[in-house]
Amino acid sequence: MSSEADSIQGKSYSSKNIITYSVILITFLVALWLSFQSDGPSKMPKVVTDQFTFTAWVNEGEDYLKKNYRWITKIIASFIKNVYYFFEDFLIDSPWLLIAALIFLPCLIAGGLRLGLYSLFVIYFWGATGLWEPSLQTVALMSLSVLLCVVFGVTLGVLCSQSDRFENFMKPILDTMQVMPAFVYLFPALFFFGIGGAPAILATMIYSMPPIIRLTNTGIRQVSAETIESATSFGSSKLQLLFKIKIPLSLPSIMMGINQVIMMALALVVLACFIGAEGIGGQVWQAIRRLDVGWAMEGGLCILFMAIMFDRFSMSFSKTKQILPSNVQKFYLLPQSWEKFTIARIIEKPLELLSGQINLVCTNLTKFIAYVFEFFISFADRQTAKDIGEIILKRYYVIPSFILILTISFVDTYMISIGSFPEEWRLSIRQPITNSVESLTVNPGFIAFTKALRGFVYLKLLRPLDMFLTHVPWWYTLGIFAAIGYFTVGIRFAIITVILLLFIGACGIWPQSMITLSSVLVSVALCFIIGVPLGIIASYNERFRNVQNVVLDAMQTLPYFCYLIPVLMFFGGGIVSAVLATVIYSIPPIIRLTSLGLTQVSDTYSEVSRSFGGTLLQTLNKIKFPLAIPSLVIGFNQTVIMAFAMQIVTPLIGGKGLGLEVFNGLARSDTGRGLAAGIGIVLLAIIIDRISLAYTKKQRNALGL
Amino acid sequence: MAETKNKNIGIIIAVAVIVIAAIFYFTQKPKEVAVVEDKTLHAAIADWTGGIITCEVAVAILEREMGYKIKQTVFPSGTGLWEAIAAGELDFACESWPSYAEADDVMFNEDLLYDGKVVKSYKGDGTVDLLGTTGIIGTSDYWIPRYAAEKFGIKSWKDLNKYKNEFATIESGDKGRLIGCPVAGWNCHDQKRLDLLGIDFQADELGTEAAAIAEAKAAYMREEPFLLYLWTPHWFFGEFDMVGVGLPEYATCEGDTFTEANNWKTCGTDGWPATGWDKDYTMNYGNPGTFAKPEHAKAKAFFEKMKFENNDQSALLVEVDINKRDVKEVVNEWLDKNPDKWKSWLPN
Repeated sequence: MSSEADSIQGKSYSSKNIITYSVILITFLVALWLSFQSDGPSKMPKVVTDQFTFTAWVNEGEDYLKKNYRWITKIIASFIKNVYYFFEDFLIDSPWLLIAALIFLPCLIAGGLRLGLYSLFVIYFWGATGLWEPSLQTVALMSLSVLLCVVFGVTLGVLCSQSDRFENFMKPILDTMQVMPAFVYLFPALFFFGIGGAPAILATMIYSMPPIIRLTNTGIRQVSAETIESATSFGSSKLQLLFKIKIPLSLPSIMMGINQVIMMALALVVLACFIGAEGIGGQVWQAIRRLDVGWAMEGGLCILFMAIMFDRFSMSFSKTKQILPSNVQKFYLLPQSWEKFTIARIIEKPLELLSGQINLVCTNLTKFIAYVFEFFISFADRQTAKDIGEIILKRYYVIPSFILILTISFVDTYMISIGSFPEEWRLSIRQPITNSVESLTVNPGFIAFTKALRGFVYLKLLRPLDMFLTHVPWWYTLGIFAAIGYFTVGIRFAIITVILLLFIGACGIWPQSMITLSSVLVSVALCFIIGVPLGIIASYNERFRNVQNVVLDAMQTLPYFCYLIPVLMFFGGGIVSAVLATVIYSIPPIIRLTSLGLTQVSDTYSEVSRSFGGTLLQTLNKIKFPLAIPSLVIGFNQTVIMAFAMQIVTPLIGGKGLGLEVFNGLARSDTGRGLAAGIGIVLLAIIIDRISLAYTKKQRNALGL
Repeated sequence: MAETKNKNIGIIIAVAVIVIAAIFYFTQKPKEVAVVEDKTLHAAIADWTGGIITCEVAVAILEREMGYKIKQTVFPSGTGLWEAIAAGELDFACESWPSYAEADDVMFNEDLLYDGKVVKSYKGDGTVDLLGTTGIIGTSDYWIPRYAAEKFGIKSWKDLNKYKNEFATIESGDKGRLIGCPVAGWNCHDQKRLDLLGIDFQADELGTEAAAIAEAKAAYMREEPFLLYLWTPHWFFGEFDMVGVGLPEYATCEGDTFTEANNWKTCGTDGWPATGWDKDYTMNYGNPGTFAKPEHAKAKAFFEKMKFENNDQSALLVEVDINKRDVKEVVNEWLDKNPDKWKSWLPN
């Protein structure tokens, strides 16, 4: 890739290039020679690792905190717990129609009839698969975490935007919060905050708060200088400026942050089952324990549909488009161009009638209520009455919703008890899913394919790289990292890199971190090989891109637990399955950003290239790719971070390295050991992240972007 | 901007309406009569089917026959569970397997009785109360599918080396592969056992029981030979026909404490872990504070008498995991049909 970038930089660099490449080659050959010389995995000398007892310090610190400060955390926990259980009990004990209305109506109001219908489908799916209660428990857990995240996240984001020093202080903390494996703090949280809802909510907050802090901060900082200037010139104080101008103007950015928080919170509430928080996560985990692929997939789909619903719901807030009243525009569920098909018309017809009816009833009801209010208030004051009447008239859906909800609760309380979701409406898709996975398991063609892939990945990629990285002496690897850091970022970063890597070595987890590094590198390489061509196809074909986007959305939101069992049944437990699961989890960004980068290259460039007689391949290779490099590197960067994040889950199916070390620490209640390994993952991820970001910056400058 | 603002007001009103409706609904509904406080316990339900069944049997009897109200939380086994019980977050949990938990050595301080005989004495700090055996006795072994045993004529573990190539995979190279005891924290030391017995196999730790069983299930469906570590009673045996290789009998040897704290000191093939496992007298355990209270004396007495048997659990395992029936339904059916089996567990 870099050769392509260099080629457009002119010939003057070519002699420098030769030197660079030969240095890299020599470095590699020396490393190879060194790795063959050593007879075991390289480790720091025992003297150092014995002296540096980080693990013991952490454990002592934890014991101290446990003894002296647990009462404080207990108070916080009991407060959160009470709110959580109140909310959860309300959701579960209410008649199902009321819950359905409470979800359906806001969706309808915010996102129009399309989102409304979709929310009805989601509600039906929860009930139909028999996961009504767990779904609502997850909803309760998620909404409370999101609420707290928003409160604290926006506050911190505003603080960050006001002070550069605070922002610089928060940056590494936010990075750590996002990459630190949740398992590391999930179990210690249990000792301080008890089991169930409270620690789960706090852990979810740690994991999912960074985006909203970041986006609030950038949103406020991006408010244009002119706006601020004009506000100041009108005599706004600093606080007025903040609350009247800056925060309202950065609302779209904050909304985007909330949206991301929701998605990340949903990813983590699944893990919360490990500390006794009930919900879909627990169901999926139980399904996996019984190897019930269908059941696990049903649970996964519940979460997936829920995530899409909340995503669209929160997205509709950040749009400024007015959706209601919808009677100005005819409603289409399917794409408008499909109207030529009879079947589409048949489906649309009743929906159209229905939406007409809803509009009619709502409008008239609202008009009637507005009239009644206006009539009564007009005795007091004519003008106020008119205003109130107008306010009511504008709320086509809110007032009828209010009435509907009241009616449901009234009927339930005084007439017939509605109860939970009706059993007769059950519709299970477990068996078909299970059957298809099982038939694939015994399919001879597929067995041959999986065997070949397993052999290739293990023998050609993983084992050589594992051996190489673990056997190269630690000081040599350290030197290479420092050199890369120095050439891409600078001397300060190189020193930091050395310190961080020395920390890993001194904790005695050097071999494990090299295994993790090799798993990540292999996974990322596979992501590249598979992802980039898919991205290229998507950039040329819009229909393919649309289909692919849906699939990628699903891959990112579906809890990874769901596909672990099929991967195991096809590839057997062990390090290969771990790598393949990592690929599934972390491939979406590279595909997305390749396609984005290539589409964004302005048509003028490709036009020019074509007019000079460049073929499709030449245009792609010489023009588009070099220009898309910044975007590609961001994709690579995100894929790497996600691959690192996945390293903590892969030990569940036979992965090795730092992730396993975290689990071993937890199994022995050894927080220090788990934390050291967790920090190892974070440090490796941050180092690679910084290097690739600096590389992008250089490329951008070189290309004059 | 004005439109956005309007919309925002609309949304705020919508939210307000919903909240008011919720409050209205809440105040209307008659409050449930609070259950008598002193008859409630909080149980941890295990995350593997055998444990779930044992726990559901205990819970069902406590609720049906003894008037308890049991709050149940599904809680994966592991260190977190023991700490949660010690902290009083949970009142009791069921079916601990002593071979797999180091926590029992550290946290129990009592004698474990089975049929009135002392099976083991614990000398820990007593932060967790040993409530008595469940009655289930677990045994572990290495297993091969019957078709493989018949095809190669493998009768015992001594025959394994002859056919190690049949059991090899890409990862294990020229050694055979054992789908080993999955969780590192369980201290099974498969590789050590294999080496000491001279079995030229490589033990692979797959991280979770689910992973190990999934691989075994797929291999069985493809009729490939495989060697699997597993314990009985387990639902796997209800669905698949497996044969144990019969590891040598368990024999204690003095001073053998094969733990990390003791720097993995072993006494060779005479003792654990080189030979078979000891019998796992599984037990229920709870929070000492809770069960010291007089109102829970009856529950404690029940746990001391409880003696659920392997055959019964196996039968229920098949119902739940293979016939995919609901656990509570299956357990209640068993209780209805076999009153003679559990009536004697009730305290006088």
